[in-house]
Amino acid sequence: MKIAVCIKQTPDTEARIRIGPEGIDEAGLTWIISPHDESAVEQALQLKERQGGHVTAIALGPGRVESAIREALAMGADSGLHLACDVMPHDAVVIARALAEAISPRAFDLVLTGEQSIDQAGSQVPQRLAVALRWPCVTAVESLQVVDGIVRARRPVEQEEEAVQFAVPGVVGINRRIGEPRYPSFRGIMQARRKTIEVVRVQLGAGPEMVQRLQIPAPKAAGQVQEFGSGIEREVANLLAGKAAA
Amino acid sequence: MPEILVIIAASGDATDGAERSTSREVAHVAQDIASQMGWQWGKVFVPTDYIDACAEALAQHAQSARLLLMAATAKGKDLMARVAGHLAAPLAQDCVGYRVDVSTIIFRRPLYGGKLLADVQYAASPVLATFRPRTQPALGAAADVLQHVIGLAPEADPRVRVERREAETGRALDVTEAAIVVSGGRGMQGPEHWPILEELVSVLGPRATLACSRPVSDEGWRPRAEHVGQTGRSIAPDVYVAVGISGAIQHVAGIAGSRCIIAINKDAAAPIFEVADYGIVGDLFAVVPALTKAIRVLKAR
Ligand SMILES: Cc1cc2nc3c(=O)[nH]c(=O)nc-3n(C[C@H](O)[C@H](O)[C@H](O)COP(=O)(O)OP(=O)(O)OC[C@H]3O[C@@H](n4cnc5c(N)ncnc54)[C@H](O)[C@@H]3O)c2cc1C
Ligand SMILES: Nc1ncnc2c1ncn2[C@@H]1O[C@H](COP(=O)(O)O)[C@@H](O)[C@H]1O
Repeated sequence: MKIAVCIKQTPDTEARIRIGPEGIDEAGLTWIISPHDESAVEQALQLKERQGGHVTAIALGPGRVESAIREALAMGADSGLHLACDVMPHDAVVIARALAEAISPRAFDLVLTGEQSIDQAGSQVPQRLAVALRWPCVTAVESLQVVDGIVRARRPVEQEEEAVQFAVPGVVGINRRIGEPRYPSFRGIMQARRKTIEVVRVQLGAGPEMVQRLQIPAPKAAGQVQEFGSGIEREVANLLAGKAAA
Repeated sequence: MPEILVIIAASGDATDGAERSTSREVAHVAQDIASQMGWQWGKVFVPTDYIDACAEALAQHAQSARLLLMAATAKGKDLMARVAGHLAAPLAQDCVGYRVDVSTIIFRRPLYGGKLLADVQYAASPVLATFRPRTQPALGAAADVLQHVIGLAPEADPRVRVERREAETGRALDVTEAAIVVSGGRGMQGPEHWPILEELVSVLGPRATLACSRPVSDEGWRPRAEHVGQTGRSIAPDVYVAVGISGAIQHVAGIAGSRCIIAINKDAAAPIFEVADYGIVGDLFAVVPALTKAIRVLKAR
């Protein structure tokens, strides 16, 4: 089975975000594979381990995203595809178009993505990709199996859980809760150096989104923090009773 | 055809009366934008059980609309992403605000787990947007607007077949829709201790419900539907009560929209106190029952 995993490189979840002249200030940031996407890499590797196949990690973005691809290779992906452009696109229309153009001619059986990127939280690239490819799509997946070309997945939908199935090819959006990803082993890191990353230069064109303003939310005023027994509990009980009655 | 369509997920024969508060919040946005732009707005009820067929039908129906709005529930976000794909239209998911500037509509979205707020606008028509529950006032009395129901014959051969759908929680109120959320973390030490939180929720009445941190749902102490945070649900209740939760950045990402945060933790240095409006430093097994008792007394008065 030929599996593609779309990985977005994002700042670390703990990173302090500052605003720069164009978007965020990237100086000094540590970069990671967006957490849901990292779990998608893990799932692709587990599918390959169970039934054989080939896993390609695909990242769209500037030169820095090669380190994210290298990390997926060190985890165990077989090859990388870098869709190279000058700045990281954040417009989902543009991203999905570029990914679909790269994926369409390459005959993958399954494309795994994250459920959402943790930087832009666009929550739409897997569905747009599937519409462009005319493939089925399920997202927010927390359990995944593929047997004889039939994908079985489970996903929570609000207060319910759905069990769904479809025949490959298709797009599956993975939620991190499916399981923590493996760490690259020393051997994996060494082997990754010999694996190839195909670099394709892409012309992105403009998308409809215009960011008018970015701002850092005002920090919250310090709250009232006191020991139990100081009387704070009475104040809190009053507040809760008031809200309950509202 | 009205310029603004509010998309409402209907199951069975959902009527206006059964409309959830999340849809009434979106209707409020529609009514307000319509009045500022001099537009009409209407409601479209869609069956979301066959999501692909529904997305295609909706894309057909909405071609000449200017703005499509829906609540940012799991179904709402998934459906609108597909409709946006079919229409090659932009989509702002999980908006927490908006404003009309002359004739431009500007949407506000949290980025980077809420560390940034972005104001975005779009050079396209139609534009799609979903709104995070409880970030907008709800439209009260059913406004007299155009209503349309999209009907779909059950598909003979849906692309994705739903084999089973099971209720995960027995609770009527979804965590995104509750005014008061009482949330337990690893400090609760085990599922057997949840009755103290359930009692607190029960004295707080029908607008209150339970939530939890990720390790709690990962351990299977609580259903996944209750997990809040960056990889769980994002919520914006009037009051969030964090019990035995340390306040990791990924947890806070999902609750930062709460209007008031109350934290109960025995460690005075726990980061949750940095975002709390009220913090009680103490053993939760003493604090929570004391609060429940005090509220019960207050209510009896
Ligand atoms: C990519 C990624 C995504 C993540 N997404 C999420 C997410 O969506 N949601 C989420 O919640 N986490 C998420 N996490 C995990 C997060 O980093 C924390 O590990 C988690 O939130 C901690 O849960 P907790 O506060 O319940 O437990 P802990 O951090 O173990 O805190 C327990 C707290 O209970 C207190 N305590 C213990 N006993 C008592 C007592 N008797 N009385 C009072 N207080 C007591 C302790 O002082 C402590 O502060 C994510 C992590 C990563 C890396
Ligand atoms: N620049 C990118 N390169 C590769 N994959 C991406 C990129 N942007 C988004 N994706 C994929 O699309 C998913 C959803 O992104 P989003 O719609 O932005 O929340 C991510 O989890 C990735 O799997």
